[in-house]
Amino acid sequence: MSLGLQSLGAETISRWLSRIMWRLEHAFERARASDKPEDDTRIRIFVVGALFATGFAALAIGATRAALFNDAGRGDGSTAPVTTARGDLTDRNGELLAADLLHYGLYIDPREIWDAAETRRALRSALPDLDAARLERALRGGRRTFVMGGLTPQVRSKVYDLGLPGVSFEPEQRRVYPLGYTGAHLVGFVDGGGEGLAGAEGAFNDEIHQLASGDKTMPLAMDLRIQAAAEDELYKSVAQFRPKGAVAVVVNVHSGEILALANYPTFNPNEPGRSSLDARLNRAAAAIYEMGSTFKGFTVAIGLDTGVATPMSTYDARQPFHIGYRTINDFHATHKVLTLVEVFQHSSNIGTARLAEQIGPTRMGRYYAALGLTQPAKVELMESARPLTPKVWDEDAVASTSFGFGINVSPLAVTRAYVALANGGKLVPLTIRKLPPGAKVDGPQVVSPRTTEQLLQIMRANVTGGSGKSANVPGLNVGGKTGTGNKFDPATRRYSSTKQVSSFAAVFPTDGPVTDPRYFVLVLMDEPRPDASGADPTGGIAAAPAAGRIIERIAPFVGVERRMDTAPFTEVNADPNDAKEEH
Amino acid sequence: MSLLDRKVRGFRLVDLVAVALLVALVLGTYLAKTMAGRERAEIASIERQIGEEKARTRLLEAEVAHLEDPARLERLSVAYLGLAPVSIKRDVGPRDLTDIARTAANTGKLPGEGMSVKPHQPLGFDPTGHPPEPQPASPPVAGAPAR
Repeated sequence: MSLGLQSLGAETISRWLSRIMWRLEHAFERARASDKPEDDTRIRIFVVGALFATGFAALAIGATRAALFNDAGRGDGSTAPVTTARGDLTDRNGELLAADLLHYGLYIDPREIWDAAETRRALRSALPDLDAARLERALRGGRRTFVMGGLTPQVRSKVYDLGLPGVSFEPEQRRVYPLGYTGAHLVGFVDGGGEGLAGAEGAFNDEIHQLASGDKTMPLAMDLRIQAAAEDELYKSVAQFRPKGAVAVVVNVHSGEILALANYPTFNPNEPGRSSLDARLNRAAAAIYEMGSTFKGFTVAIGLDTGVATPMSTYDARQPFHIGYRTINDFHATHKVLTLVEVFQHSSNIGTARLAEQIGPTRMGRYYAALGLTQPAKVELMESARPLTPKVWDEDAVASTSFGFGINVSPLAVTRAYVALANGGKLVPLTIRKLPPGAKVDGPQVVSPRTTEQLLQIMRANVTGGSGKSANVPGLNVGGKTGTGNKFDPATRRYSSTKQVSSFAAVFPTDGPVTDPRYFVLVLMDEPRPDASGADPTGGIAAAPAAGRIIERIAPFVGVERRMDTAPFTEVNADPNDAKEEH
Repeated sequence: MSLLDRKVRGFRLVDLVAVALLVALVLGTYLAKTMAGRERAEIASIERQIGEEKARTRLLEAEVAHLEDPARLERLSVAYLGLAPVSIKRDVGPRDLTDIARTAANTGKLPGEGMSVKPHQPLGFDPTGHPPEPQPASPPVAGAPAR
């Protein structure tokens, strides 16, 4: 516009307009001068007519536009404002996990009520859950008041049919989790205002709000079948060992997708307020533990990757190992010189500490950081907890952390590190979001593919002839590492002899190239108690069987077929009775 | 006399034409608006019905999801039918047929023949710690956690 004015010349236009105005103003004098006064009248009528015509034309165009292209009044009027509405959450196969459903809020306007007693009686009869005090306040008040929310369309019809004056409804959207406690910690929950507070609801809060406007759904990485199997087997172990808490996690090692995440105790996300904080705690992400011997997998992998050790390297476990001011013992002393594979199978603290000493504090600290063990687990969940790590990576710290003491990490952090060791060495982020099939997830290379191959075989050897035997599933080549960490008792400032964390970190299948489909399963029990057999509920007793059962049930869902069983390093473990579990 | 100045019964022709045009326009606009209003009301009614149907569909979808909850299905299948997840030991593919035939030839039995199915025990407790909801004929399980 300004360009047009400039090109025409603003001065020229204003001069032209002034001239027209002057001609109109002085038309009467000119008409009189030319003795044609009627010309002046005609001009004036023409001008007024033209102005009216322009006005009416503008109005006609506006009216036509409003009549033909007016969007007002469209829609059913029942949708909630975009700010509170949320898109649906589904599992990776499209099964509904969370949805906004139309509910109604009940309002009472006492100014329109003729018979308060009748209204009170009818409402309490139709709505037994109605808060009597709130109803009374509304009936005695002087304005329209909200009385009860979350009425389903059926309940609303029931109340509506009562025909009570002064009783009205407002549509409202309510978040509903049709599966109840299944996958509760992974799905999460929302507050009364529709804002996500935990799980996927909290992690993707803004995105889920945006999805609502497009009628779209957000698929999570969770596979409902795997989630249900993991929960079922975990809760069966819970019934057997009665722990304070328990966790099961299933992850695709190549994509980092969390296919299942089960917690005990759990809660119903439809009524989060009715559950305790303890039940709502996502132990997989927000709790940290001294994991015990599951950390030996990291130490062995670091030893292999740095070239400090080979599977056949030997370690003297005949005597306790003195390092710094500490003496390290084996829980079930073998009093033998052990190969690295045997150290893993017997879960020898002495052998692992000797390996860690050879690797050295600097390299151990660097590898732990590279494996993500010194940071919160990289996952979308806002609950992901920060680990407690040694302040100084000296010899003493390295010896302790080599077998899982002196470092507190979340189960998801351990999962992520094991996922890296099992997928060829890439530290991929864990994700609760479904990735496209065949998606290539990249991450820093923390160990070599050769280390992965060797570690998978050692983990397999631990299941065929070591502490993880109870996790074996014929035809699935399960590998794994048990872990039993005594808990630190703040009251006595000592490690408790009765309270422990028992875990099992499993990978299946362990055979085939590193690029083959592979899955990681972690089962953890916090303070399990002896079952009817009275056996010490170590990782091999309390967690490994559950991991095996989970793997057996989920293998068909992830497309892992039975194959020939492998038994690597069998010649190393000549005496199967030697394979007792260690702390 | 020009056409514009011609008079019919004392009225200028141009005025009569303008009035006729105005009446036609008013009538046309009225009819168009009335018809559009009727159509709009019908559209709004249909859209309201669609909205209600959508809401009902979503309610049914949520109900289906609840009814198909794997934990619930497992509980019911155990309680009523005594079913259990199929053990992977019973999972065979075409490439296993040779082994099966060899086993059958050597032992005279098919693999798994006579193998008893371990009864699948229901969970027997509520992992949320809430009082359990009434379950249809669910047999109680001993050893439920103390919490």
